[in-house]
Amino acid sequence: MNTKKILKIIAWIFSALVLVVLCFYAYYNYLLKHQHIPNNGEVSHSADYIDPKKALLNEGFKVCNENFIVQYYNPETATYSEGKNGLRKFVLSNYKNNNYTDSGYLNIRFVINCKGEAGRYIIHENNLDLEPHNFDKDLVSQLFKITAQLKKWNPNFVHDEYRDSYMYISYRIENGNITEILP
Amino acid sequence: METLQKFCLSLLVTLLLFSCNKDNKEASLKSLKFSQKHYQGTKINLNALAKAIELDATNEDPWREYSIPFLKRGIPHIWKKNMDKAIELNAKEWQGYRGYNYLWFYRDYKKAIADFNALDTITPNFIDAPQGHSVNYWRGIAYLGLNDYKNSIYYFDKYIAKETKDTGEDWVEMTAFLYKGIAHYENRNDSLALQSINKLLKYTNSTYADGNYYKALILEKRNNHDEALKLIDLAITNYKEGYYNNRPYVETLRQIYMEDLLLIKERLNKK
Repeated sequence: MNTKKILKIIAWIFSALVLVVLCFYAYYNYLLKHQHIPNNGEVSHSADYIDPKKALLNEGFKVCNENFIVQYYNPETATYSEGKNGLRKFVLSNYKNNNYTDSGYLNIRFVINCKGEAGRYIIHENNLDLEPHNFDKDLVSQLFKITAQLKKWNPNFVHDEYRDSYMYISYRIENGNITEILP
Repeated sequence: METLQKFCLSLLVTLLLFSCNKDNKEASLKSLKFSQKHYQGTKINLNALAKAIELDATNEDPWREYSIPFLKRGIPHIWKKNMDKAIELNAKEWQGYRGYNYLWFYRDYKKAIADFNALDTITPNFIDAPQGHSVNYWRGIAYLGLNDYKNSIYYFDKYIAKETKDTGEDWVEMTAFLYKGIAHYENRNDSLALQSINKLLKYTNSTYADGNYYKALILEKRNNHDEALKLIDLAITNYKEGYYNNRPYVETLRQIYMEDLLLIKERLNKK
């Protein structure tokens, strides 16, 4: 048997072994992940996910990388261009309590893309006990319009690049008055 | 004979149940560990936590861990449902933590205080420290949020006295001096405010924007404009260097910004 033939056999055996190891690794990973999925229904998305089809003002809004949207606080907070004071001033000077009686948290989540543009909004309405609650429609519409007018944001900067990030604004409302704007 | 058969059957069922239960608890812990290897709030992390809960709903850890990403992402009702479940299972461990969440993420000072008080009831004669600080320190902040200066100062004093006695004044969390000073300042007691702010500046080597800012405000009221201006300039430098009161995820209570400092500077320059 010449050397060339021996080397060929070794290469085949080696390739076969690598293939077996890879298959085993893939199967192991599959099992590992599968065993940690609940039987009573898989969680279909990450906690922050906003479905573009259901979101408000998503038309024409583009994210830079659909597969990598970070959180507003990582590593540094994505901020409104006029700062928190500027945001507060804009919202409070434009918002009018039209005899609303609602109390609770009106949270508006959205995406700030890598260019600092905002879009893809979703609204969560909860009472002060943090249970789902429907606010006065006019109040919701008014606060949403004001929030959507906060156009220019400082995008998040991660791994040497500006990135898309999930952001939210939480309005604590007591008897129709905004008492806190978070975060 | 029949009784013996029944006894054996019952024993077998009990053993089987016990063994299944034990297996489920172990599997649940495995899922919990697996979840912790993945970034909080990702699909894989949430699924593993949900699996951990499914296998053993009596362990509070996966409930609490499931709640956190929703807290940080502004989805309160999911946070609340899961956090409450963790407390139902182990109030001693998590009620203070929920109070801390109410305090910072929801600015619900009354609910925060209620949780800190409930924790006192659960652990009498012991001062708990959720998130690394005494409940008295947290209560001081919560009462300041309610503009209840009397109670705020009372709890800061209580916290500072205990910490000073146990470990020394230099171990007191410096923002306790800041917030106590703010409480006195807003309560129009400038002398006591200055005492507390001076303590803050002592332990920060005068390099803390908030301390210099409040001291400047007090000196301005005393018509000592030159000194106030120097302090505001110092506060601006401190701020630029990152020495100011802030916290991750949310704006802190009475947070100051550069524009606040510049505004005072402009006002002082005109005097």
